[in-house]
Amino acid sequence: MKINPRYYPAIIIAAYVIFLLLGILLGFGPERGSEGHGNSMLFQLAFTTLESLV
Amino acid sequence: MTTTIREKPFSLAKSRRVIQWLVVIGTFVLGLRHIMPGETSRGGSFDSFCAFGGIETLLPFLFTGHLLKSTNLLNFSVLIATLGVSLIAGRAFCGWLCGLGAIQDFVAEWTRKLLGERRHIRGKQSKTILPLHLPAVVDRSLRYAKYLVLAVILIASLYAAFPPLREFCPVRAVFGLKMTSLLWFTLIVFLAGSILVERFWCKYFCPLGATLAIFNKISPVRIVSDTNHCNSCGRCDIECSMGIKDVPLNLDDTECIRCLECMDTCARDGSLELKVIKS
Repeated sequence: MKINPRYYPAIIIAAYVIFLLLGILLGFGPERGSEGHGNSMLFQLAFTTLESLV
Repeated sequence: MTTTIREKPFSLAKSRRVIQWLVVIGTFVLGLRHIMPGETSRGGSFDSFCAFGGIETLLPFLFTGHLLKSTNLLNFSVLIATLGVSLIAGRAFCGWLCGLGAIQDFVAEWTRKLLGERRHIRGKQSKTILPLHLPAVVDRSLRYAKYLVLAVILIASLYAAFPPLREFCPVRAVFGLKMTSLLWFTLIVFLAGSILVERFWCKYFCPLGATLAIFNKISPVRIVSDTNHCNSCGRCDIECSMGIKDVPLNLDDTECIRCLECMDTCARDGSLELKVIKS
């Protein structure tokens, strides 16, 4: 499928914004003071699920 | 009498310049915000807005559950965004959204102007001596250095407290505004390199570019060449800031930053087209 190059900048900016929001929704948000610590909700959920399975 | 108004042709190069300027200004503002009093606003340190910071802190996070100092969970979001763009359009992040890439493009352009090029004619080889074209053997060998840099950083990240590249990071040197002697050194080398060789950092040393290179082979949005239309004039080769040879034959090259300068320069309709293809 051919894409009009005119839309290319919009495609990459939209992709960046959508994936950035996706990352934040997954729990990788700008938490203040989280430098050096990992407290992602996603990872906590994954770790808890894994622990309950093992 | 009827008059026809000719529509001004759309210029990808101009759109790219506008986006690059916005990225550069935005990153400077970010750097400025982090040297202002009361910078303890949401978002953490300057480093936490870096996509490569996400790669540097990924292995320690997976193995120990802790992030490297000065990195933040936000690094992963920025990394996901960068990988998302790459998944769709290859190394388009390098060509359009990277602040360092933009600075290198500006430096190359300003260098040519300072050396006497009054007006750049697209598709025509610049007569200025800088930026240089390194001999092919040297250029080809040096391009592998970025993969080595990436490997060293990944290994070092397992033993480091801070991101391994932090003290030599050109993003911090150019935009960070919190300078150390090592960062001054990095800034001088980065600027000198960018004056001497176009996209010096991207071609030879950028570990993020090394990470994203593989996406050029799998992304669905690609530039496709039609050999029936192409007359091998070489205009695209001249405009390629990454120095790719025989552009129409190497559109999936891992070095391509999908800036679309080749498409914008191409004088023959239908010779280079942007398409969604199935891998």
